[in-house]
Amino acid sequence: MQILWIVILMGYAICVAQSILSLTTTRPLMRKISFAALAIALGAHSSWLLLRGFRTGRCPLVGTQEMSAFLSWGLAVLSVIAYRWYRANALKAFIFPIVLVLAAVAAISPGPAGDAPEFGSTLQSVLLPAHVGLLLLAYASFFVAFGAGVMYIIQERELKHKRFGTIFYKLPSLDTCDTISSRAMAIGFVLMTLGIVGGVWYSYSRYHIYWQAGPLEIFSVVTWLLYLGVLQSRLNAGWGGRAVALASIVSFIIVICSLMGVRYLGHAL
Amino acid sequence: MNIVLVGLSHKTAPLEIREQLAFAEPALPDALESLVGHEALDEALIVSTCNRVELIASTPAGSEQGLDSLSAFLTNYHKLSPDSLNGHLYKHTDANAIKHLFRVAASLDSMVVGESQILGQVKEAYQYAVNAGTIGRVLSQLMHRTLSVAKRIRTETGVAQNPVSVSSVAVELARKIFEDLSDKTVLLVGAGEMGELAARSLIDAGTSKLIVTNRTAERAEEIASKYAGGAVNFEAFYDVLPSADIVVCSTGAPDYIIRPPETKRALKSRKRGPVLFIDISVPRNIDPGIANLDNVFLFDVDDLDSVVKANLREREREAQRAESIIDAEVQQFIAQLRSLDIGPAVVEVKELLSVIVVGEFRRNRKRLGDMTPAQETAIEDVLIPALVNKLSHPMIVHLRNAARDGKPTQMVEELRKMIRID
Repeated sequence: MQILWIVILMGYAICVAQSILSLTTTRPLMRKISFAALAIALGAHSSWLLLRGFRTGRCPLVGTQEMSAFLSWGLAVLSVIAYRWYRANALKAFIFPIVLVLAAVAAISPGPAGDAPEFGSTLQSVLLPAHVGLLLLAYASFFVAFGAGVMYIIQERELKHKRFGTIFYKLPSLDTCDTISSRAMAIGFVLMTLGIVGGVWYSYSRYHIYWQAGPLEIFSVVTWLLYLGVLQSRLNAGWGGRAVALASIVSFIIVICSLMGVRYLGHAL
Repeated sequence: MNIVLVGLSHKTAPLEIREQLAFAEPALPDALESLVGHEALDEALIVSTCNRVELIASTPAGSEQGLDSLSAFLTNYHKLSPDSLNGHLYKHTDANAIKHLFRVAASLDSMVVGESQILGQVKEAYQYAVNAGTIGRVLSQLMHRTLSVAKRIRTETGVAQNPVSVSSVAVELARKIFEDLSDKTVLLVGAGEMGELAARSLIDAGTSKLIVTNRTAERAEEIASKYAGGAVNFEAFYDVLPSADIVVCSTGAPDYIIRPPETKRALKSRKRGPVLFIDISVPRNIDPGIANLDNVFLFDVDDLDSVVKANLREREREAQRAESIIDAEVQQFIAQLRSLDIGPAVVEVKELLSVIVVGEFRRNRKRLGDMTPAQETAIEDVLIPALVNKLSHPMIVHLRNAARDGKPTQMVEELRKMIRID
């Protein structure tokens, strides 16, 4: 298993180096190498998750190692999708450093200690991983939205200050950043809604209560309301451009800060 | 066989001279034919544009004579005295001629480095020469290589990448904001020529709708109808502003006609992403203060011009890279030409071998005893040629390699010595 992580980390490291370098140089650089590295790393990453799943007979979503592995995998997949749909090569430079860090965390974390949680029923054994997996993917989407928002703000500054350097040419257009950011937020919101529904259902089926007023639960609802507000403003109040980009950045920072706070306060995850 | 090139361009001759030397399209076939009618010239090609005239030919008579024939033709054809072009003509042979042609086609020698027209013109010139029947083995190889080198440079370097005219920069900026222009509306304020030019570039780039407004309504309607757009009253400007995504302003007004407070108010009802203002008027017609409004981007003539200048500098830098590609390609092509030239040497080697084998056969004929005539012809027509082919094959391979290094004649000498060892 360790050899898989070496392959994965090397692959992502090449991607990070290439995507950041190509933001600052005009010429296409190591495109093919980076593409191959990404394909190999993503393949190895998926295999690791599958292998772990087969070996333990459950979804690989328990403990820091598996959750970081899954989160970084989700981010990598999402950024590949964003690249396929919008040709936004620059986005990789914002996302892959985090993919690399999360993958490194997964690589050095110990596997789950002790036994997997016992489930009272098959339903519960489906609901809990669905709940965790969907929420992790939702955070991954919010992070993509954040990355696109940052690109929007940088590109806007370049345009406003009339600085037409390499970065200006490498970043996608404002409209593309805006579209990626809004869609990623919308997708993240849907995933989060489903994840919360899964969590409530699980909680009811296991403990016969819908809602515990724990820090994690409150935090999830706050996040959900935050993104609901941003999406609603975009759709109905005519927010566009800069406002949405800023909202995607600020919301994500709030999410990360409170996630850290919750972890610190309640050892919830 | 040598390649020779005589020509003049915007770098060596003023327009008055260039226009005298241009070849009109209908006259090209005749001109080409009289060129190859010259005994020193085998194949010929003429590239004639408003910026340059290039005569390219292959000559069996040595490059000196080839160049003389070309320049004599140029002056005779245009009925000029032989000395009248002194100092304006450049003359290149072989490697230099090939390099010059590569540079011309790759647009490194153009007034605006990287412009795309010249490649088309070179292609066309080649087609004319092919139709006139003045292209043979050497020039056809040369031209194919020229076109592929030019394409290679366009794709592998950035010489043709960034726009270098004010209106194409405006389009580039619009694309950096909107990506897809197909559902965007252009509002043209004023009917100046520069404004119209910029608006037209945007329409060519695919914007969906044009609205024109001008102090004199007739002129607005004239332009609007030209591009299937709509005209509105000049006073109604702020009413239509919310529906516009790109505003191009070019009026003769002496001061600002688009101001922040009104613009802010007008854009409140817009509820959509960014608006791009392009101010091409001098003096400026848009208050620079509007750039401080959210989602508003403003560029004036100087901004566009500075992009043009930066892009030109970038092209110059990329041109340096292109030059080294060209140098390598010239070397390769010369090697390729030389390996073409081994035809006579191959024949010679085969003849030498066949003389030896046939000689030996005849000398020892008696020892072979009686043979039917059929057997004899089988030996002479089948066995001996097969033997010669088998024996000469490694030599020819060797020869071809030597030719690639540019030393076929020495190699033929060596082979001659080896074969005549008896």
